[in-house]
Amino acid sequence: MLEEALEHLVKGIVENPDDVKVRARNLRRGRILEVRVHPDDLGKVIGRGGRTARALRTVVTALGGRGVRVDLVDVDQVR
Amino acid sequence: MTEGTTPAVETSPRKISLTAEDISRLEQEGEIAADYLEALLDIADLDGDIDMDVEGGRASVSVIPGEGEDTAGGDLSRLVGRDGEVLEALQELTRLAVHRETGERSRLMLDIAGFRAKRRQDLAALATEAVEKVKETGEPIKLKPMTPFERKVVHDTVAEGGLRSESEGEEPQRCVVVLPA
Repeated sequence: MLEEALEHLVKGIVENPDDVKVRARNLRRGRILEVRVHPDDLGKVIGRGGRTARALRTVVTALGGRGVRVDLVDVDQVR
Repeated sequence: MTEGTTPAVETSPRKISLTAEDISRLEQEGEIAADYLEALLDIADLDGDIDMDVEGGRASVSVIPGEGEDTAGGDLSRLVGRDGEVLEALQELTRLAVHRETGERSRLMLDIAGFRAKRRQDLAALATEAVEKVKETGEPIKLKPMTPFERKVVHDTVAEGGLRSESEGEEPQRCVVVLPA
């Protein structure tokens, strides 16, 4: 549910919703939701002073993702 | 961001007159916001209905407990959070979603489970009390730090009470000062 909610929230605010992919990764130190967006949209999902990224994290935490890390990366980034 | 000191009269909702075009633009904002939020409620399996309105020159959208949900707010309170923290985050995202569709910056006001409505009442009472005290003593009163929404409610109430107010300081420590006549 968390991945789907996060994907919906991000898709609604970017110019290239089809490029949005959310992947959950379970690491030993906890769960990470990795959000991939079109390179042109990375600034948008981060927002001025990280404001949008913070809002996304706040909502994910509220929906039951306490301790879940949300990473925002663009599709060209290799990790 | 620094807004400088804005006299409350400029933001008083009664001064705003809207054209039919403005209203339909604001109604459209409400529709986009409602779609965005409704889908979120569905995904999160939260029971809520959405009310739309145009108020004080802004689109206003409220998520209220769904029918048959007799607990006040119930699950929805998760979307409010401590001191409305989650509500502010959702409002921010919802404004961005509206902006994406319309290309215009939105000042849409979101409420969830009556949080802002209640907060508005409490703040109006606090502001009225401050107005009375300032009128009595002739001394300005500085209130505690508040969010932009909270300061707006206080400015409006002070203006209704016949006094002026200003905001000072930087976010998140920005506060309203009620000025003597």
